[in-house]
Amino acid sequence: MDLTEHLFELDVYRGRGGYDAARKALGMSPDAVLAEVREADLRGRGGAGFPAGVKWGFISRDGTEPVYLCINADEGEPGTFKDRWLITHDPHLVLEGIIITAYAVGAHEGFIYVRGEYEAAALRLQRAIEEARASGLLGERILGTEFDLEVVVHRGAGAYICGEETALLESLEGKRGDPRLKPPFPASAGLFRCPTVINNVETVSNIPRILRDGARAFREFGRPGDGGTRLFSVSGAVVKPGLYEVPVGFSLKDLIFHLAGGLPPGRTLKAVIPGGLSAPVLLAEETDLPLDCDFLSRAGSIIGSGGVIVIDDGTSMLDVLGIITRFYAHESCGQCTPCRIGMSWLHKTVLRLVSGNGSRGDIDEIARVASAIKGRTLCPLGDSAALAVLALISKFRKEFESRLEECQIRSQSS
Amino acid sequence: MKIRIDDRLLEAAEGSTVLEVALAAGIDVPHFCFHPAFEPEGSCRMCLVEVEGAPKLELACSTRVKDGMSVLTSSPRVLEARKEVLEFLLAEHPLDCPICDKAGECRLQDYYERYGRFDARFREAKEKREKIVPIGRKLLLDRERCILCTRCVRFLREVTGTGELGVFERGARTEIGFFEDWRIDNAYSGNLAEICPVGAITDTDFSFKTRTWFLERGASLCPHCGRGCNIDIEFRRTTNRAVAERRIIRVRARENAAVNGYWICDIGRYSHPYWTENRSRFVLMNKEAKTVRLSWDKALIILSEKIKGLGLRGKGGRLGLIISSFLTNEELYLIGRIFKEAVGLGNVWLADPKPQEADRLLLTAERSPNLRGARELGFESRPPDFEEIEKRIQVLLVFGSGLREASASGEVRNALDRVPAKFLFAAHTGPGDDAFDFLLPVSLIAEKSGSITNTEGAIQEFQPVWLPMGEAKPEWEVLIALARELGFGEAWTDLTDVREAMAREYPFFKKSHE
Amino acid sequence: MNHEFAPQVLAEVLAVAARYPRREAALLPVLRILQRVSGSLGRAEEQLAAELLGLDPVRVREAVTFYPLLRQKPAGRHTIRVCVNLSCSMAGAEHSLACLQARLGIGAGETTADGRFTLLTVECLGNCDQAPCLMVDGDDHGIVREERLDEILGRYL
Repeated sequence: MDLTEHLFELDVYRGRGGYDAARKALGMSPDAVLAEVREADLRGRGGAGFPAGVKWGFISRDGTEPVYLCINADEGEPGTFKDRWLITHDPHLVLEGIIITAYAVGAHEGFIYVRGEYEAAALRLQRAIEEARASGLLGERILGTEFDLEVVVHRGAGAYICGEETALLESLEGKRGDPRLKPPFPASAGLFRCPTVINNVETVSNIPRILRDGARAFREFGRPGDGGTRLFSVSGAVVKPGLYEVPVGFSLKDLIFHLAGGLPPGRTLKAVIPGGLSAPVLLAEETDLPLDCDFLSRAGSIIGSGGVIVIDDGTSMLDVLGIITRFYAHESCGQCTPCRIGMSWLHKTVLRLVSGNGSRGDIDEIARVASAIKGRTLCPLGDSAALAVLALISKFRKEFESRLEECQIRSQSS
Repeated sequence: MKIRIDDRLLEAAEGSTVLEVALAAGIDVPHFCFHPAFEPEGSCRMCLVEVEGAPKLELACSTRVKDGMSVLTSSPRVLEARKEVLEFLLAEHPLDCPICDKAGECRLQDYYERYGRFDARFREAKEKREKIVPIGRKLLLDRERCILCTRCVRFLREVTGTGELGVFERGARTEIGFFEDWRIDNAYSGNLAEICPVGAITDTDFSFKTRTWFLERGASLCPHCGRGCNIDIEFRRTTNRAVAERRIIRVRARENAAVNGYWICDIGRYSHPYWTENRSRFVLMNKEAKTVRLSWDKALIILSEKIKGLGLRGKGGRLGLIISSFLTNEELYLIGRIFKEAVGLGNVWLADPKPQEADRLLLTAERSPNLRGARELGFESRPPDFEEIEKRIQVLLVFGSGLREASASGEVRNALDRVPAKFLFAAHTGPGDDAFDFLLPVSLIAEKSGSITNTEGAIQEFQPVWLPMGEAKPEWEVLIALARELGFGEAWTDLTDVREAMAREYPFFKKSHE
Repeated sequence: MNHEFAPQVLAEVLAVAARYPRREAALLPVLRILQRVSGSLGRAEEQLAAELLGLDPVRVREAVTFYPLLRQKPAGRHTIRVCVNLSCSMAGAEHSLACLQARLGIGAGETTADGRFTLLTVECLGNCDQAPCLMVDGDDHGIVREERLDEILGRYL
């Protein structure tokens, strides 16, 4: 039986206790809701891992400007499909989380930025919103309280960079998705320069449970400083690719080999990218670790968006490098010098290597260019690309060198 | 508050940025996208500096100062970052220096020379883009040279409010562009070539005329409206030193926060022919269809005799003066003292170019530089009354070219023909010169000292950039000489005396004198 | 391309614009509407969006050229977007692409002569557990094997 099959329908959702948490929250003071969330140690699920309760606390609710809530459903990080699932199969959970979040931070307008390619998901979400509005869960004086909340689904148009919070704001304002300089931070100058909270879909989807079961119960599911469960999108060389919800701190090795069925017969594990394409790669022998923010950072990678891409021995890491550099060259917004030119430089060099015109010195060159990008860019995309490239080179240099020779031989003989 | 930049302890105002404090103290922190007229952009990444306590390098342009902050602008980390940013910029930059107008005043060149000096390591194919794109007025865009600092886009959005340019595409394909056939068409377009830090936007007015290192520069003021924008006139001397002529190449904006900010308008910028073309160089007398050269002494003697011949000492009506507000404060003061008071004269008219529309930026309605000064010195805007002139005036002195348009027409010309003695003191020759008996060449602002008062009451002094052309003299010199011929006891020897006297008699001008 | 826009299109645009605190924020959804109506976003569409939202047309073009889902040139009746990012690549995306190119007789970025299909390669579509995947118009198709291609294409006339 598929428990989630009809969960997107309001009566099914409500039948399982849906919107009870929202009702409870609206009966508390916003400060009390905020305190509960802060206590729960909920880290952002979009990639940056910033504690949600702390982020909410930066908003000052007593200004004259409206406070806005933006939900980041741009989900462009390759290897990630959790937010798609949530919006498509459990949209009311997302909406319930939005209601509680908006109430806590004092927002009366919420914008859900859904990436342009998620057609079916956006339709489901829109349908759920209409159902919610018809039942007094959205609109004026929701759930019989004095709290007003309107939610708008805003569709993106194909730019990965719009997943970066300030680029998302620019895009929501009707402009190019060019990230902004920080400071000022969105909490003081966000959408239309008004105080704004931006949270990932999965992050807000955890809020109802925190209110329903309490912060402590939520925390106990995870590890110190990193509470609750996480959705991991597992894809690549596994028998059962799919979405898996596990407590924070679950073993990566167990996720791959027990839950996702391990590698197909005849294949061995070569590498794992644990947090979406931007996460520095882990060698097979490095995968025996708990999936939480701190452990992954100590291992030289990031938990990121939880997109676990499993790579087997049949895949060339030079191809992986090619995809990464092509991806970033395509998605760079072009504002700042190191990223605009550096990503294209990396991509062009890799293309040249693959066509057989490279040498070992070029591998050093790629590392050098990536290092020159690192720490110099306007937004985190630069660092993500740089770190991903540097990790690949430091861990797979020998393979790159031998692939290079293969490419040269191939091009000479053709 | 105090902050430390390198080994210096500097005073810093709350809310200012590290870059602002550094630049004010003469510390070079290289930058492309920052411009003091705009909010920080933070995209070029050239101004990265080391801030004690911060793990990453920070942008000087957008980092606000904190009390006790310590900044390093030349540490090894900073120098390495600069090299790398330069390397990125040069990787996709065409090797156009030999044909690029910006050479010699190009930030990319200057910074490479100071902070680069590395061998090129980029082996890939550079992006090929359009190189000669007309973007409006006299401007061309070269997309290969463009470093996407977006100063041009921001200028058009924030200063002129016209927003003709935008940023199109993404990543390495990003480029500056415009919508369909809409080009830049505002009166401040020339500033774009100035603020472009490289040779991406060039001014066809300057294209290929000279290399910038051959240019000499003199500070002056623009005379074309009542703003008194501060300008730099850039010129080359001709190789024939004996002739000592000069060739004006261009006019650029000179920063003055109280007057014109960072900009000048296209009228002032592109009017450099005004300074050198059709100049009146010789003292001439038109007599019975013949033109004869005279000396200044001779001409002034004749003029003073004619004036004395009118027998004026009290109020007479037979001497007329048509002046313009192109005259300086000192010159107008002298005219007032010599003619209105000493000689006694109620017939002073003001012939200025017709007022036009002011814009919301710099251009004033009045198209002469010293109308405010004229008013403060008691001259009203009375246009010449040619009926009066025809009936009563026996000796007419005209200062400036204000009558040119009018004197071509029948009515005015007829009126002038009835005046027995007419003297024109003008810097340019032109139509209607033959209407005058005596043509006396005078200097423009760039060729004399003086002061003018702008529309908002700012008194600006200026010095000559060159000597006058040919036999031209500054009007103030001529007026003092004339006064002596007329036998006044005033001991005006030079401008200092005049200024002191002016400040004594007109409190408005006291402030400039202090 | 239709340069006169039907009143219901204008009404739809204005209704969308009304949902935002400022009209100009509706630019992306408005451009999607106009692209749906006209097939692509040309000068007329850009100027209409500019006018209705109180923007300079150059700003509209900035958005049109920045976002890949907005297109300036007309495309086929159906757009096929083949993901070539990592998980799909490992699952054989290049092979699917090659098969499509052979079947349709066009390369990536091109449109069939009969105007039926435009073929594009794209980055991750967020459907990685169904790799290799592609989209045709707004429909997701996962686990796309060569033997399924005819059936999938056949749904789009």
